[in-house]
Amino acid sequence: MNPLVYRKLPLILVGVLALGLPLVVTSPTYLHIVILLFLYAYLTTSWNLVGGFAGVLPLGHAAFVGIGAYTSTILSLQYGVSPWIGMLVGAVIACIVGVIIGLPTFKMRGAYFALATIAFAEGIRVMFENIDQLGPLQINGPRGLQIPPLKTGLASFMFAEKEPYYYIILVMLAGVLLLTWAISRSKLGYYLMAGGEEPEAAQALGVNVARAKLTAMAMSSFLTAFAGTFWAQFTLYIHPKSVMSLDISFEIAFIALIGGRGSIAGPVLGALLLRPVSDFSRIYFGDKLPGLHLIIFGVVLILVMLFQPRGLQLPLTRIYHRVMDRLFGDREAAA
Amino acid sequence: MLFILEDTINGILMGSIYGLAALGLTLIFGVLKVINFAHGSLLMVGMYVAYWAVLLTGVHPYLSLVIVVPVMFLFGYLLQDILIKPIFKAEKDVREPITVIIVTTGVWYILDNLSLLIFGPQYRNIQDNPLRGKMLEAGEMMISVPKLWGFCAAIITALLVYLFLQKTRMGRAVRATSLDRDAASLQGINQYKIYNISFGIGTAIAGVAGVTLVPFFNIFPSVGVLFDIKCFIIVVLGGLGSIGGALLGGMIVGVIESVGPQFMTATWTEAIVYGLFLVFLFLKPSGLFGVKYDW
Repeated sequence: MNPLVYRKLPLILVGVLALGLPLVVTSPTYLHIVILLFLYAYLTTSWNLVGGFAGVLPLGHAAFVGIGAYTSTILSLQYGVSPWIGMLVGAVIACIVGVIIGLPTFKMRGAYFALATIAFAEGIRVMFENIDQLGPLQINGPRGLQIPPLKTGLASFMFAEKEPYYYIILVMLAGVLLLTWAISRSKLGYYLMAGGEEPEAAQALGVNVARAKLTAMAMSSFLTAFAGTFWAQFTLYIHPKSVMSLDISFEIAFIALIGGRGSIAGPVLGALLLRPVSDFSRIYFGDKLPGLHLIIFGVVLILVMLFQPRGLQLPLTRIYHRVMDRLFGDREAAA
Repeated sequence: MLFILEDTINGILMGSIYGLAALGLTLIFGVLKVINFAHGSLLMVGMYVAYWAVLLTGVHPYLSLVIVVPVMFLFGYLLQDILIKPIFKAEKDVREPITVIIVTTGVWYILDNLSLLIFGPQYRNIQDNPLRGKMLEAGEMMISVPKLWGFCAAIITALLVYLFLQKTRMGRAVRATSLDRDAASLQGINQYKIYNISFGIGTAIAGVAGVTLVPFFNIFPSVGVLFDIKCFIIVVLGGLGSIGGALLGGMIVGVIESVGPQFMTATWTEAIVYGLFLVFLFLKPSGLFGVKYDW
């Protein structure tokens, strides 16, 4: 057999492990943590489409999470629409909003884009906090919306156990990773990377940088809204602070940046490394040392930016390839 | 109508303090071409330094400037020298490195949460200070005295910065670096030293803003966040890098915040400020006094 096939083995192994994880992790608390980890891996991978490949720094993705969460929740609470359909509607709305933000802002320099996304996201949050009722839609301002757990089942996207949520987020994560992989080898991916690194040069070669970035933004906001619906159905309670706060936007960006923006494995690695830090420091030190995990995040972020600006994925993939070479022979020689 | 005038005046006074805080941000941007996301946190640090200086020595709050300004200058100088300079050196040919923004965001998180760890989440204020709640009665109107002093501090600081930039040798070097860092280097200006000094001055100005806030504002670990986003908005409104623009932008935001509640729920004014910011960003991104070619 071709030695290159062996190199795929670890990936398959990871897949099998992920599928069987709920058999091992039976404690709902730990499964909850794993689900949040996957949710963040999903969010950062979606963020990475625009934040990583397009070379800009969006810091307002929580707005899309919130739009997704609120759309599906309002539709299901007031009109009895299945959250699955609401999920799609929310994604379309988020996509439109994303394009509206992107159209004028992609022309700006990096820092202004970051500021504009922050202002947009905060503006949307403030509006949700101030509106009780928008036409026929009940928004409830800062009190938020509660989803009564009436009928569980796949159709209503509501389950008494954690396992179904786990498999749903696993499928979502696998899907978004596959999509990222496809994009990274597509023309769009090359356009984005070229536009992110050398916009002038790319334009001179006939690449429509603005359009490529806009496409990435549209996809990213569309996918991010899915996570919002998942979040709403998972916690069954949303309010502007829980799904739209600036902290979420920043955490997404931090994880992706530490893991390695613009790579496929980076955001997932970042979530794998950082989510446990934040969960466990909250569980064990939450009362005595509040904010400890954010200090750790900040320190790690600065260290990574100083010494490994391409993120932690770079040294880790290097080690991975070295191990693979040791095990299955040299990659170049085999190819 | 009188209460609207009263609100407008108090809005302008409070807004000039916002402008003072934003002044440091705009100076740092003008020279380094970097938006310092940690600026609000630096303001918070300045407030804590002033708070402890007053509490431990018992001096008049404004006298704490003698301690706050040098401490904050040194803090900013070292911050830039240790954390940001290496990145500038690594990304020499990038005009506006995003990596630096990310690092300052990291500094923001570290500072805010460190002060939460050290000082705890409780609100602090200087209880027995001569300025607390003091009002100036002008006819029927009540005007806050500490805010009036803040206004004066803002004007004086802006003037001093202007004089420094225009009249001193170092100021000329700062302006040269801000216009063209490579050409300035060729003239024998050590651009990294200029960066350090500019960052130090910007941080010291945040400290001055902190001192003017201390007599009437609560001090808590995340107080910077209140000013952070406001400062971003102000500098974009006024034009990034413009000193007068920062003050004027601050006053605009201050007036919206203080007059707005007469006509709507107070929390809506925040949405209006964001809306105004976005309108500017899309229609006139160079702001009121900004320079066009920067875009």
